[in-house]
Amino acid sequence: MNDQILGVQGVSKRFGRHTVLDEVTFGVRAGSIHALVGENGAGKSTLMNILGGALRPDSGTVTLDGRPAAFADPLAAIRAGIGTVHQEFGLFPNRSVAQNIFAGREPTGRAGFIRWRALGRQAQAILSEIGVDLAPSAPVATLSVAAQQMVEIAKALSLRPRVLILDEPTSALSDHEAQRLFRLLADLRSRGVAIIYISHRLSDVRQIADEISVLRDGRLVGRTTREASPADLIGMMVGRHIESITPSRRTNLGAEIFRVEGLTRHRVFADVSFGVREGEILGLAGLVGSGRTEVARAIFGADRLDAGRIWLEGRALAIGSPRQAIASGIGYLTEDRKALGLFLTMTVGDNIVAASMPKLVSRAGVLRPRAIRAEAARYLHRLDIRPVDDRVEARTLSGGNQQKVLLAKWLSAAPRVLIVDEPTRGVDVAAKAGIHRHLSQLADAGMAIVLISSDLPEVLGLSDRVGVFREGRLVTILDGATATQEDIMRHASA
Amino acid sequence: MRFRVSVIRAREAWLAVMVLVVSGLLALAEPRFLNASNLVSVGTGMIYDLPVAAGMTLVLALGGIDLSVGAIIGLTSVVTAIYLRSGGSVALAVPIALAAAGGAGALNGVLVARFKVPPFLVTLATMSIARGTATVLTSGYYLSGLPPAYLQIGRGQLLGVPYPVFVVLGVVVVFDVLLRRWKPLHDAYYAGTNPPAAVLSGIDVGRLVFAGYVASALAAGLSAVFMTSRLAMGYARFGELAELRAIAAAVLGGASFSGGTGSILGAALGVLLLAVISNGFVLLRLSVYWQGVVSGLILVAAIAVDASRRRRNEPR
Repeated sequence: MNDQILGVQGVSKRFGRHTVLDEVTFGVRAGSIHALVGENGAGKSTLMNILGGALRPDSGTVTLDGRPAAFADPLAAIRAGIGTVHQEFGLFPNRSVAQNIFAGREPTGRAGFIRWRALGRQAQAILSEIGVDLAPSAPVATLSVAAQQMVEIAKALSLRPRVLILDEPTSALSDHEAQRLFRLLADLRSRGVAIIYISHRLSDVRQIADEISVLRDGRLVGRTTREASPADLIGMMVGRHIESITPSRRTNLGAEIFRVEGLTRHRVFADVSFGVREGEILGLAGLVGSGRTEVARAIFGADRLDAGRIWLEGRALAIGSPRQAIASGIGYLTEDRKALGLFLTMTVGDNIVAASMPKLVSRAGVLRPRAIRAEAARYLHRLDIRPVDDRVEARTLSGGNQQKVLLAKWLSAAPRVLIVDEPTRGVDVAAKAGIHRHLSQLADAGMAIVLISSDLPEVLGLSDRVGVFREGRLVTILDGATATQEDIMRHASA
Repeated sequence: MRFRVSVIRAREAWLAVMVLVVSGLLALAEPRFLNASNLVSVGTGMIYDLPVAAGMTLVLALGGIDLSVGAIIGLTSVVTAIYLRSGGSVALAVPIALAAAGGAGALNGVLVARFKVPPFLVTLATMSIARGTATVLTSGYYLSGLPPAYLQIGRGQLLGVPYPVFVVLGVVVVFDVLLRRWKPLHDAYYAGTNPPAAVLSGIDVGRLVFAGYVASALAAGLSAVFMTSRLAMGYARFGELAELRAIAAAVLGGASFSGGTGSILGAALGVLLLAVISNGFVLLRLSVYWQGVVSGLILVAAIAVDASRRRRNEPR
């Protein structure tokens, strides 16, 4: 590895008593793509932050061109030719595409005045070079998430980096857009750029990576190539065999307890009707933007319905707010756990009881701390949330554990109907399997569950029936036991 | 030129139309509004609010807020008057006034930029400190008897127009151009929109934020110099509610409480709108006591517009 550009040798990093990276050696060569995979919490982000200058290792060295390098801060790394595209966008929404690409580095004339026309030209040049058709003058806030991602990449490339680090770059992209990104990465590779590609998506990694390194619990546990099978990679990532989703089809479905008829919200969705039986999981599939989440929000009272009726256990409900929905026995686990689900700076315990407070206060409304802690502890154990401590802040948990906290919150509220929206997005394989198991158990215990998911194996594996949305309409309901991914995609995109 | 954010330009045009509409209605209701002497008095009435609103725009663009500007006007006025009455030189009076104001701004800047205290709390505290100090220094009395040479600063005229009008117009125009087009100041928009990303873009966010609070306080100091000179006294209660009018004007002009937007031209048009409305109160013989109520209502309206704009920018 003598043509290695950027690397780490025996790097360790601890936060408090917790070892996040343990003697990791890793590097990337010019003109190659090195993928870094691992579960959430395996240490990928920490390693990325060390390579990008945001963190200093406790021991070991970072090397640039074979020589030890100590980046004082991320800016120093950027100046050394290391470009990083973060998962969370570092964009300026109300500035133009061109201003975002050249933020802080606009071409200026004498006395520091910005040369707007040169700025536009240079931005156009970068965008053409990477084959992106965007107007340099468009405000970034008006762009799709995929286009924003391309702006972020254009920004990193405008610095002519020798090393490009990408963190989950396809998580917001459609298949088509992801393929375009891969072509761009292959092109950069052929021009000698070293690329570090961090991802959960094994299919992506196997498509483009030259080398694959696997991190588990802070240790580098394997290095392989794209020929490795997904099962091998998953095995290395989790260190044990994870059974794929077990289709635990239920046979003892009860009566229909939840029904919606003719739900309509103008220009968002129209005439949506379905029912769910006791102990049944109804999957809702469809493309992003097909109206599934919007229907769920409207049922839950978070958005207004223009027409339609909702029955629970034979009673017609008039739901005007989430508060009424919860009181009526409906729960909704949001798809956006950080923005709409968790109280990030409050404790795990506070989060778990957030929707079930009414049963944990005295008749005068005074909190009963012991009952609250007992309730939180019950779900910490039942859902295997780590750490098993109700007093840590929710923001410190990994994505998978945060998702379990949200699930715990709704279990504690004990709804009759639970709508879960993308319950496993961005969580690691083990947590995903755990969440699937719990959803199955809940259904077995008689809860009616509506599962919204873009993960087709998940929908097919868990659901008794699968409704498919297209452009705001529920176009069909398929039998979960016999439907295939192709069936769903055909209805979703016809 | 294509890269100036079109939203801001639209806001400025909209505000200019508002000014014309309100002026038109006022002229219909009270023809004296169009008298040359009245128009001049509207214009000179703006010289106190314009610099403060310009400074406030910069602070808001940086994602902050400065509640202390009104109190800094009072403190600066009192310090100037005490200095002059103790036999100080007129030539040094202005630098001393600006030093006092700038010092207060530097305190704001250090606490916000260096110690990361929320700007609302910092400037609420300095507001109380500055106003309190000014009141203690004067026991609440006016300090009159300032030297005639000092009074010339605010009252002297060139071609029939008071000096401060030229100074303030110059400040506003230069400030507007710099914020729009001069990279070191234009960086404020990046710093206010997404501070961590701005740092990673090589922008010294801390230094900009510090400079923003100093600039805002210096603008208040300039306002205090003119007020003290034109009204011929130092008074601890000068500049009361100036922060409110400045925030209202800046937000009307396109600034947002979430940072990253706003223009000096927009804020100046906001000041003009407020000035015309308050002139209307005088001409129509409505009680001046209503003016605070109306400024507050306009601020609420501006905040509502800001909030709805932010809602529209959210994904859902």
